Amino acid sequence: MTLEGVRTMALHEFRLRLRAGRWRWLLGAWFATLLVLTVFLRWALVEAGLREPGADMFGGLMLFMLGLALLVVPALTAQSVNGDRERGVLATLLTTLLTPAEIATGKLIAAWGVSVVFLVVSLPLVAWCVAEGGVSVTRVAVCLGVTALLLGVICAIAQCLSSLLARSTTSAVLSYVVVFALTIGTLIAFTLALAVTQQTVTVGEPGGQASETMQSRPDRVWWLLAPNPFIIVADAAPRPAEPSDLGIQLDLLGEIGRAVRSTREEITVEGDQVVYTATDKAVWPYGLAANLALGVGALALTTRRLRTPYAKLPKAVRVA
Amino acid sequence: MIITEPPAGVEASGVRRTFGEIVAVADIDLVVPPGEVTALVGPNGAGKTTLLLVLATLLKPDQGRISVAGHDPVADPGAVRARTGWMPDTFGTYDTLTTRETLEFAAAAYRIPAGRRADRASELLALVHLSEYLDRPVHVLSRGQKQRLGLARALVHDPSVLLLDEPAAGLDPRSRIELRGLLRRLAADGKAVLVSSHVLAELEATADRVVFVDRGRSVSAQALAELPRSERRPWRLRALDAEALLTSLDRRRVEHGPAEPSGIEVLLPDDEAAAELLTALVRDGVPVVTFAPSGSTLEAAYLAMTEDRR
Repeated sequence: MTLEGVRTMALHEFRLRLRAGRWRWLLGAWFATLLVLTVFLRWALVEAGLREPGADMFGGLMLFMLGLALLVVPALTAQSVNGDRERGVLATLLTTLLTPAEIATGKLIAAWGVSVVFLVVSLPLVAWCVAEGGVSVTRVAVCLGVTALLLGVICAIAQCLSSLLARSTTSAVLSYVVVFALTIGTLIAFTLALAVTQQTVTVGEPGGQASETMQSRPDRVWWLLAPNPFIIVADAAPRPAEPSDLGIQLDLLGEIGRAVRSTREEITVEGDQVVYTATDKAVWPYGLAANLALGVGALALTTRRLRTPYAKLPKAVRVA
Repeated sequence: MIITEPPAGVEASGVRRTFGEIVAVADIDLVVPPGEVTALVGPNGAGKTTLLLVLATLLKPDQGRISVAGHDPVADPGAVRARTGWMPDTFGTYDTLTTRETLEFAAAAYRIPAGRRADRASELLALVHLSEYLDRPVHVLSRGQKQRLGLARALVHDPSVLLLDEPAAGLDPRSRIELRGLLRRLAADGKAVLVSSHVLAELEATADRVVFVDRGRSVSAQALAELPRSERRPWRLRALDAEALLTSLDRRRVEHGPAEPSGIEVLLPDDEAAAELLTALVRDGVPVVTFAPSGSTLEAAYLAMTEDRR
């Protein structure tokens, strides 16, 4: 794999994407949606009596933007490979001297680049949040950086599905299923696992009889929440050292982070007492690592699927 | 130490490729020597396209030994790709790119240095007579023009082996004649050219050799000049006096078709019979102006080969 090869592929793919869509409209709609959200968010926060709405505006904007991006990005990438096959341009590409790794990586970089453009377009709104105060530059940088990485992972997964499946509609649908699994699926899995892993403990009432209760053990299944993109971004956001005492402070990202970290509280039964030991162990590094591993795996699988000559062909697939 | 140049063309023997139950290529032997145009001829579904996909390093053969430009397409696809230009039967295009951009990307993908790509693109567009479309998007091109662009694309890295799948499809008569000239020039440059086609009359003027395939097997391979010329085939006769011709034919009990503006068709067992008939007609005083085999030699050979299918 050479840098020049990846560059050739990425620039080519980026140019094709640039010319294919009505980007001005798409990006305009994207910005308008986020602008409306930010305006209303600020209005609501000020009405609620916050004197420094910056942190919550930022938190709300980041989570909303991530949600919107998770809707847009799979559609942008889900026909990266099978769409090329449907248009009859894949086979001639595979017979060039570009290696499968160069093709897969170049295509991924172009797709990722497009999703990053969406983030860049939102920067004026982020700047507005910062101007309102209460948001550190580190927080902005970490949140945007982690969001960008997560979108890259979604691109890699969508691209991999498009290399595995013959039809671009199928791969688009499956990409959304993956996004659903990462967002809602992780929450459902955590909730179910919590119910399944309940423990029967005997606790004594102070000065009363001992009774058996069901004790849930989030400390054993917290990791099921970790791959959730919203949780990763919220937990990764560096929190201000001291909660601000200016009026009511919600700090959306911070609250989510704290709630998730609380699932890692150590739970021990000492005698007839359940003891909770508060910890502040981060969840996001595990989640981000899991997502990045998924992304790297997806890229490797895409590369494998582009390796010719083919010994086997999936049903209903023509090489050229 | 003597370094021997590997054989530059295509040599394949016993090639077999199946898709599950379906046998696309059962057993094909093929030699495409450098400096010649070899035609791959056979009915639909004979395995021509699959064979070309195997040679173009896209499909692994189940069996068989193959050497393309001196390299094994399975063991060393990169070496084969660097020396082979393949043009698929349906050439997909990036419709939003201009023809120049299409070729410049192909050049980049074949690792031609950035400084030479623009020149190469204009050179090739001139070669296939598309220069005036240099900066036009590909989607304005007609089917035949796209086909020519596909040929230019296959030539971008100056390959020594050319694998062309139905290059004449969709071309107007003038473009066909130009394609013929281009293929002859490429062969004269020492390239090994393999062309699959249905347009037999076209191939007869272009090809040096022909390989017949049917139901996944190579039926025969021969030089075009050696094709049998004394087979039973139709001849077309025309005389200034059609009545005299018909009378003479009837008298000699020669089986013939109806009188048409283009002449009368008769079926003769071989070339000797044709020579005899002509002599006889002239002796009868029939003013003969046309006496020629109807259809091409290649067509006759093709029809003879596929006869048992009916």
